[in-house]
Amino acid sequence: MAGTAARPRYRAGAGDGVGASIGRVVAYVLLIVLAVAIVYPLVWMALNGFKSNAELFGDPWGLPTTWRWENFGRAWSLGVVRYLANSVIVTGGSVVTTILFSSMAAYALTRHRIPFAGPITVLLLGGMMLAPTVALIPLFRLLQAIGIFDTYWALIVLYTAFRIPFTVFLVRAYMITLSRDMEDAAVVDGASRWQIFWLVIMPLSRPIIVSAALLQALFAWNEFVFALVFINDTDLKTLPVGLLAMQGRVLSDWPVLFAALTMASIPMILLFLAGQRQFIRGLAEGFGKG
Amino acid sequence: MTAIAGTSRHRRTLACLIAATAIIVGACGDGGATTAPASAEPGATTQPASAEPGATTAPELEGSISFLHKYSDPRYAPYFEAVVAAYMAEHPKVQIEIQAESDQGVKDKLRVLAASNTLPDIYFSWAGDFTKKFVRGGLAKDLTGDVTGDWAARFTPAALEAYTYDGKLYGVPITLDAKYMAYNTKLFADNGVAVPTTLDELLAACDTFEAKGIEPIAFGNQYGWPAIHFMTQLNPYYVPADTLQADYDPATGAFTDPGYGKALDAFAEINSRCLTQGANGISHEAAQASFLAGKSAMHYIEAVEFFALTEKGGAPADLANNWDFFMLPAPADATGDTGYLTGAPDGFLVNPASEHLDIALDFLDYLTTLDNAKKMVADLGWLSPVQGSATADNTFPQNVQTIEDIATAKGMAIWLDTVTHIDVANAYLNGVQAMLDGTKGTADVVADVQAAAASAKAASE
Amino acid sequence: MTGTTRPGRWSMLLWVAPAVLLLVVFVYYPVVENLRLSLYRWSPFSPREVFVGLDNYAALRADPVFWSSLFNNAAYAAVSVVFQVGGGLVLAAVLEELVRGRLKGILRTIYFVPAVLSLTITGLLFQFMYNPQIGLVNGLLDVLGLDAWKHSWLGESATAIWAIIAMSQWQSVGYVAVLFIVAMQRIPRELYEAAYIDGASRVQAFFKVTLPLVREMTLLAMIITVSGAFLVMNEVWVMTAGGPNNASHTLGTWLYKSAFFNDQMGYAAAIAVVIFLITMSASILQLFLGRGKAVQY
Repeated sequence: MAGTAARPRYRAGAGDGVGASIGRVVAYVLLIVLAVAIVYPLVWMALNGFKSNAELFGDPWGLPTTWRWENFGRAWSLGVVRYLANSVIVTGGSVVTTILFSSMAAYALTRHRIPFAGPITVLLLGGMMLAPTVALIPLFRLLQAIGIFDTYWALIVLYTAFRIPFTVFLVRAYMITLSRDMEDAAVVDGASRWQIFWLVIMPLSRPIIVSAALLQALFAWNEFVFALVFINDTDLKTLPVGLLAMQGRVLSDWPVLFAALTMASIPMILLFLAGQRQFIRGLAEGFGKG
Repeated sequence: MTAIAGTSRHRRTLACLIAATAIIVGACGDGGATTAPASAEPGATTQPASAEPGATTAPELEGSISFLHKYSDPRYAPYFEAVVAAYMAEHPKVQIEIQAESDQGVKDKLRVLAASNTLPDIYFSWAGDFTKKFVRGGLAKDLTGDVTGDWAARFTPAALEAYTYDGKLYGVPITLDAKYMAYNTKLFADNGVAVPTTLDELLAACDTFEAKGIEPIAFGNQYGWPAIHFMTQLNPYYVPADTLQADYDPATGAFTDPGYGKALDAFAEINSRCLTQGANGISHEAAQASFLAGKSAMHYIEAVEFFALTEKGGAPADLANNWDFFMLPAPADATGDTGYLTGAPDGFLVNPASEHLDIALDFLDYLTTLDNAKKMVADLGWLSPVQGSATADNTFPQNVQTIEDIATAKGMAIWLDTVTHIDVANAYLNGVQAMLDGTKGTADVVADVQAAAASAKAASE
Repeated sequence: MTGTTRPGRWSMLLWVAPAVLLLVVFVYYPVVENLRLSLYRWSPFSPREVFVGLDNYAALRADPVFWSSLFNNAAYAAVSVVFQVGGGLVLAAVLEELVRGRLKGILRTIYFVPAVLSLTITGLLFQFMYNPQIGLVNGLLDVLGLDAWKHSWLGESATAIWAIIAMSQWQSVGYVAVLFIVAMQRIPRELYEAAYIDGASRVQAFFKVTLPLVREMTLLAMIITVSGAFLVMNEVWVMTAGGPNNASHTLGTWLYKSAFFNDQMGYAAAIAVVIFLITMSASILQLFLGRGKAVQY
């Protein structure tokens, strides 16, 4: 990750001695205790998914006596499959639109001299200052007026609109640094702007595009407020709201709820493990240079 | 209009057919086997007169409607799915889209739907000011002229009355509910505790259990309404009925009767001697789990939840065979009326903007036929406002007793949190939670309620 | 060169049009419209708006729940600055300076994992952890012999918001730590070598080298954490819905509850204006600090 392996280690500092060794042991112990404290609740959540209600209440710390995979099956059919599908659709849709529109804007702003470039940049980046909650009540009416209330589009459109500023910010900062050589060569070859954008700029910007897409996916996957207010149809709910609804439904069947929570956790954890490096790069870029 | 008249004719024919079928099935059952607990659930197997082709004489219904209920619990939802499926089988050109919410989830969902003009054609609503809000906003159809004749005659009159405002009917009741103290008969017998007949006896019983290390009343108040149900019952015990009625109406509410304070005091006493501590952090269902496990002697519960205490509903046999119930006993010094029973029907309203009122009404009619009511009683263990739907044959003994109880009660005290204006309901919900964790006293809550009533009154003028 | 001809220049506006349009319609317009709506009164049941001037703001001033919500947000911010930013910084330094090899990567990954989970998932999980009868928190206190510390964590007015805040620290400390690690890795190693040659201990090196060089980052992290704390809603709604007795509301949940439980849409819009002012100030501060100094390395 982020080039740690390649970096040469410095030699031990002057403070190293017996005291420092003890200090190091203590630090190691604390770090591992912290890791356990962070992981244990998640492991417990997964284990509880296999228990019966009686086991959960009788011996909350214990292991399940038998592995009740049927809890997962029940959670799956009681809604998790539906919520997962909805989350995938909304997340996928908003990643595509956010990345496309943001990259197009960043391309126009960084690779061309367009009219009103200044005001447009301010407008696009200034959106970062506006929180979704603030727009909640008016959006409630706006979405009805344009007829996308209670549809996937409500979430896709909003997730795109509210994340364009951050994504433009990331992509723009990267595109500015790209050299003009390949672009100029493409122009000489008679490539259109659209071709240059797709075949030259986007491939060159791939690292930041991947980071931005991962961060957008994380945002859309976990977004709660819009999903709570703008989706009514039980069949269209995404995971964060669907799981809450599910808790209201399986009130007396906790293991099934735990099974549902466990299954709902897996996709993002896997995505993170697969794209850890890009994730962290994106966060660091967005954070450190804010 | 003609279409509606036509359907109601059709409805009558259908109802006769269903009734006839039911009688035949019942008769066969009785004649065939002498005791037959297996056939004790005729409702469960009777697919309500599925697609009798001869019955469809009226113009065919066509279109799609949406139907929102609050029974998304997987134990309950299948019943509604089955009835909807049966109805659609009978009316091939009708589509009914179900939106299932949970009890907690439906409260804000209905408001979101109302504010967004996307209320379903048929939607759930509690009786009381909760329903009146929809009425005031013009979002509930006046059903006075629709629920008539045979359809109206099916219901217990009190159930229709709960959805009647200013002489007009706005809701079709689906369940009949009452609140009782369920108790573990084995724990009572083992510890020599008799069923209490006064509030003091209840408190004494709690002391007995407490002394033996048994939790007296399993209680979880995370949602706020479990405590409100105590208040719903205690208020009429301490406050005269007329005063109560005036106070529950936002236009005239004042809550100045000293009985309100006494009722809160009584609750505080019940809390300190009987109830699970830290209850605001425990869900009602978690508390129920403790009663089901035989760890608690009592549990204040709705009749619609009785099913959960039966083996069919998933309760352990130890408990399922050893429970009974009693009404929260009145105090000896009651200054109100002890004849009131906490409870109310739940019901459905119809969206006046519906494009298919004929289907909406026809479906509600169908949902409340005697046969479907019987099926509901058998499948879900709920009580139906349809008369004659619960018999010893299709439900457990406690439910039969409940029916008698409701019939003899002087009146029903509708849930305090849905009968009053939202501000008053909130003052109670929050105030009682604050009493439970010791941050407020009786006087504070009374003051809050009075202030809320004043602002609700001002707003209604 | 591309984009130099006049028609070409203007046509490039089409490239920014989708982004601009979406922002104007779905971000800027609603925020402005919200200002207007905060001057009206209407309920979900009767969409007719009544102009009430600044009444909603007067009601806000007199509403104890609004003030306690604001306090809860502030508490959220303060605790998060200490534990997420402060704790994350220390954690990052310790991890970066002391741990070698594979373990370092593994620990870093573990610390970060909760941050990718939905707050609904962690909220529901912790709701169970905090259960007074069977939750792990009280169970742990039992094991440690600290019975007296046991609480109905989410069920008591005095502890509910703190229990939620604690959950949030658990979820986010690793996330902030990883951001600091990235910043620390940009610090040239020679600076440390020089410090050690001067006889500095590891702790001294942290204060002399690390801290000054991640100062910018720390400030930004603080501002972002604070403004994030004023938007908290998901976990509170999931864990307590603002209860008991409205004690754990934040501005976000109180807004939602006002609009969709208490039938006061205009009032909710007024709360939104307050959230807007707070988060806007934080952003301006961030902009100002971000430009103030060039990054030192």
